[in-house]
Amino acid sequence: MRLAMDDLIKLVRTYRLTAGLLERQRLAEAIFRLIEPDLRFFVFSAIQPPAAQDVLQEILKSIVVSLPKFAGGSEKEFWAWSYRIARNRLNDHFRKQANDRLQPMPQDELLDLLDASEQAEPLTAADRHDLEYALKLLDSSKPECRDYLWNHYVIGFDYSEIAEEQNLNYDNVRMKIGRCLDEAKSLVA
Amino acid sequence: MPDQNTDAEAALQKLGHRLRLGWAKKHPTPDKSLESVKNTVREQWEHEQTASRTSKPAPSPEKDRGPKPPEPGLEP
Repeated sequence: MRLAMDDLIKLVRTYRLTAGLLERQRLAEAIFRLIEPDLRFFVFSAIQPPAAQDVLQEILKSIVVSLPKFAGGSEKEFWAWSYRIARNRLNDHFRKQANDRLQPMPQDELLDLLDASEQAEPLTAADRHDLEYALKLLDSSKPECRDYLWNHYVIGFDYSEIAEEQNLNYDNVRMKIGRCLDEAKSLVA
Repeated sequence: MPDQNTDAEAALQKLGHRLRLGWAKKHPTPDKSLESVKNTVREQWEHEQTASRTSKPAPSPEKDRGPKPPEPGLEP
């Protein structure tokens, strides 16, 4: 049976209450089948493959170990909590490898992924137009702005998550992202 | 006139959705990752079992004494 994302929080709640090893392993497998692809995308879009695989394993391990302590009650909270762990592990990696800062995913790889997405959902002409526009917005942005736009719109971090990560306040991040978006739009127009 | 800000935001969000979709198609979760998750669950479970055994209170001396000797004078 294929589990839907709606089942995620039910699986997490059940995991927290489960004592038996085999049942825990079954639940963990179901949870990670749902969350691993997005976490993998997040990590592999930030660092190059050999290191990315190791960092991803660290992230998965940290999430498993902390799962019984997760105190939230919604899917959104679970994602935010998982990504906080992922960002922390990623930052640990950056502290150790100072020259391995965030590398934007190459354009040809992005185009490959968009092609692959057609196998799941066909693309309309309007979709293609929007995606081309979005790629141009990112491409025309300065590196700092590209990171903000990427993290907020593509990865899906909200302002408060980015503020926590950057040690800035919420309004500061909201304004920075707004300015970056305006600037990118003016360059693409 | 359409709201340009909303168009730009919607286009970027659509890009995120599409990239994740394509990513999941091109890179399905490898069995190795799931095996590693299950191993971590087992290690944590074993750790909990050990911790719960060592944190159980020591048996009371009363229980440790074994069967009570028969009352004096009741032996055959």
